[in-house]
Amino acid sequence: MPGVSLRALTKRYGDTAAVERLSLDVRPGELVALLGPSGCGKTTTLRLVAGFLQPEAGEIWVGDRRLSAPGAVTPPERRRMAMIFQSYALWPHMTVAQNVGYGLRFQRALARAERAKRVAEMLRVVQLAGYEGRYPGELSGGQQQRVAVARALVVEPEILLLDEPLSNLDANLREEMRVEIRRLHEAFGITTLYVTHDQAEAMVISDRIAVIQGGRVAQVGTADELFDTPRSRFVAEFIGKTNLVDAVAVAPDTVERGGLRLRVAAAGLAPGARVTLSIRPHLIAPVAVTETGSNVLGGTVRRASFLGDAMDYEVEIAASDVVLRVTAPPAPRLRAGEAVRVRIEPGACLPLVDPGEGT
Amino acid sequence: MAVPAVAPRRLEGLDRALPVWVAAALALVFLMGLPLGWLAWMSVSGESGFTLRHYEKVVADPALRKALWNTVVMAFWVGLASLAVGAPLAWLTARTDVPGRGLIRALVLASFVTPPFLGAFAWVMLAGPNAGLLNRLWRSATGAEAPLLNIFSMPGLIFVVTIYTFPYVYIMVANTLALIASDLEEAGAILGAGRLWVALTITLPMVLPALASGFILALLQALALFGSPAILALPAGFHTVTTQIWSLFQFPPKVEMAAAFSLPLFLATALLLAAQKRLLGRRGYAAVGGKGGARRVISLGRWRLPALAACLAVMACAIFLPYGILAKAAFSRAWAQPLTWSNLTLKNFTFTFFEYSATQAAIVNTLELGVLTATVGAGLVALLAYVTSRRLVIGHQVIAFLALAPVVIPGVVLAVALFIAYTRPPFLLYGTLWILFIAYLTKEMPVGYAQADATFRGIPTELEDAGRILGAGRFRVLRDVTAPLARSGIIAAWCFVFIGVIRELSASIILFTPSTKVMSVVLFDLKEEGQFGAIAVLGLVMLALTFATVALVQAVLGRDVLGARD
Repeated sequence: MPGVSLRALTKRYGDTAAVERLSLDVRPGELVALLGPSGCGKTTTLRLVAGFLQPEAGEIWVGDRRLSAPGAVTPPERRRMAMIFQSYALWPHMTVAQNVGYGLRFQRALARAERAKRVAEMLRVVQLAGYEGRYPGELSGGQQQRVAVARALVVEPEILLLDEPLSNLDANLREEMRVEIRRLHEAFGITTLYVTHDQAEAMVISDRIAVIQGGRVAQVGTADELFDTPRSRFVAEFIGKTNLVDAVAVAPDTVERGGLRLRVAAAGLAPGARVTLSIRPHLIAPVAVTETGSNVLGGTVRRASFLGDAMDYEVEIAASDVVLRVTAPPAPRLRAGEAVRVRIEPGACLPLVDPGEGT
Repeated sequence: MAVPAVAPRRLEGLDRALPVWVAAALALVFLMGLPLGWLAWMSVSGESGFTLRHYEKVVADPALRKALWNTVVMAFWVGLASLAVGAPLAWLTARTDVPGRGLIRALVLASFVTPPFLGAFAWVMLAGPNAGLLNRLWRSATGAEAPLLNIFSMPGLIFVVTIYTFPYVYIMVANTLALIASDLEEAGAILGAGRLWVALTITLPMVLPALASGFILALLQALALFGSPAILALPAGFHTVTTQIWSLFQFPPKVEMAAAFSLPLFLATALLLAAQKRLLGRRGYAAVGGKGGARRVISLGRWRLPALAACLAVMACAIFLPYGILAKAAFSRAWAQPLTWSNLTLKNFTFTFFEYSATQAAIVNTLELGVLTATVGAGLVALLAYVTSRRLVIGHQVIAFLALAPVVIPGVVLAVALFIAYTRPPFLLYGTLWILFIAYLTKEMPVGYAQADATFRGIPTELEDAGRILGAGRFRVLRDVTAPLARSGIIAAWCFVFIGVIRELSASIILFTPSTKVMSVVLFDLKEEGQFGAIAVLGLVMLALTFATVALVQAVLGRDVLGARD
């Protein structure tokens, strides 16, 4: 089972680069999600890996085979990959069995009976036994999705590519299929690239997530790593909610902005340096108004929204222009206009390594 | 995702298929470039090289100037009259509860596919000043001496051309109205606007591009038409540009003059089409677009039956009366006499098929050319449309442009160009069926290409990509996925070309020789001999062939032909 290695890939459309010097290593058997907003280059990256596009620069390796380089692209049909498309791309003129069995026609070593057996087996795995003779138009969206999955898996590809495969499903079905895809990945262990713009989907399904921004990898890591230690504004905001505070270092472990002074999760800040902090709303705790000490801030509740299992506050910090989002338990309830004090543990104040452009 | 979707999807690392695509593209350039090049050259060449003498003669000749003016007058009025007939008809069938909407639509379709020259023949029998049926009824009813109608006149010509041209306006307007959701109009009504005010301020501006573009299409049809002017204007003693070009080919042929005279027609057509494209591109469909929103049916109340009567009156002129008189003439000894038992006969059929020497060969020629052109044409447009819709080669935009370009070449002009190009070495095709084949192939290319292009655009490339990634090469995917899905669309393209070929007159009339006559040319010969019974018989054969093909298209596509055009 080989891995995939993308090395400084560049793909341009006219003057604009859809993908720019993008590098990424996917380990054998790993499922990596390419996560990013629309237009970030993630689908282009996937199509480059599939061999539908030729890179202007960079290389794509699968194991010890170099599949793509400028001017030398192995065509899609010889890449031993399979792909699941956003539209499913089921052939409307073929039955379910013909759709699923199509890729096996090109595996010469397989006898006809063996192919039929494999198709039947795969349809059983995706719970579509008995649907062999149906046409895709006669199936529900979820069933079509499972045909697409079966068609991709039955050929036992070295690499599996998925392009937003769940975006056409309704919310309930989507959650069900996330779990299903994860289950199938654990059963088959195929090295997989999964394109999505839905961070929850990426977090549920993948081993690691590559956040793509402007045709480059902004950060790669497990869901935990990305959530706990985002490197940039973009990643901090894209994975979960956060408060971003631009401040200036006044000591190796302390920053200030106006009347706001915080000890942070760092010990090597150069005094005078500009620092951007990411503070997750749920790590900010309202405390008694009598509470004092370092990293306890006074302020006023601007807005209070009841979310059922939690409260969402906007707190204006006294003597500064900073407004923090705070997620807190529903009780005790604070009202808009009320004075409040909040504590933020130093460990929750994360200076971003590579903040990117900010305000 | 936005970026890859709009960006070029040219498949890099082109495979063994490249020579095929390139050959198809070259065939196209050859088909178009050679004749038009010769046409341009001929119009400016004299014994001593370059000259503008032919153009000077064209401009100086009062007869030619008159023909040009007649054409302008005729085309303009045909355009206006087509608007006046086509737009209300489209609105009635698309938006109101007028009874028999399906029937009216079917009849408009029938008018659309009726060869205009057959209609002209029929109207000669209906409204010829002496023997015309309507005039004889008028005389016997009123005792008047003078005829009620004279079809051999400019108004007569405009009338006959209009009844087979208004479907162009109808199609544009009906298809646009079908896209405008009623809620846009209701939004106006909620704000307090009356029904008429809504129609004037909301509906009308939204269909304005469609109206303008339908007007231009009607104008173009009228400009390029040869048959109806030849049948109605020549006896009335005036020429249009097309008949004038044709007469320049009569002995002794003045080919250079014809070439020089062809150019204004060609340029006018090109300019009008460019204008139409701009109209449609600027506004209209994107703004109108969207499938959402229900279409509310407007109740006509007590105007339902009068509206139906008006629709049927139009259809009486375009279909009922002409088809009726053709049928009557086909089965009568004397078409002008009342239909009695003694007047009934099958003599016209035996005469047409067995006694008149040219018919059998002409039918065979027409069918041969129809099948050959449609088959080669459908294959070629399928290849070209595949290459352009999948952006397989550099310069695919040029191929698309060339495939659609013959639209701007009126049949007569094309014929002049082909005549010049293929009466000399290295390609001596004049006198063979091949020159007709090339003329038809060129002339019908845009219709077939548009159909094929729409077909391939309707097949998502992801379906092909899915096959590639699973191990199928480009040709294998073409065979297993693309071809089966494109089949019905390409059959429809075949039918469109076939229908176009069997009714073609304006190019054939210049390119035929005694051994290469086709049905339309024989019809024209029969007119010279006054054989209206035989005209009717042959006309009915042509109509039967046409409608059989239309029925095939509808069965294959599952929708009617009107929706497929433009």
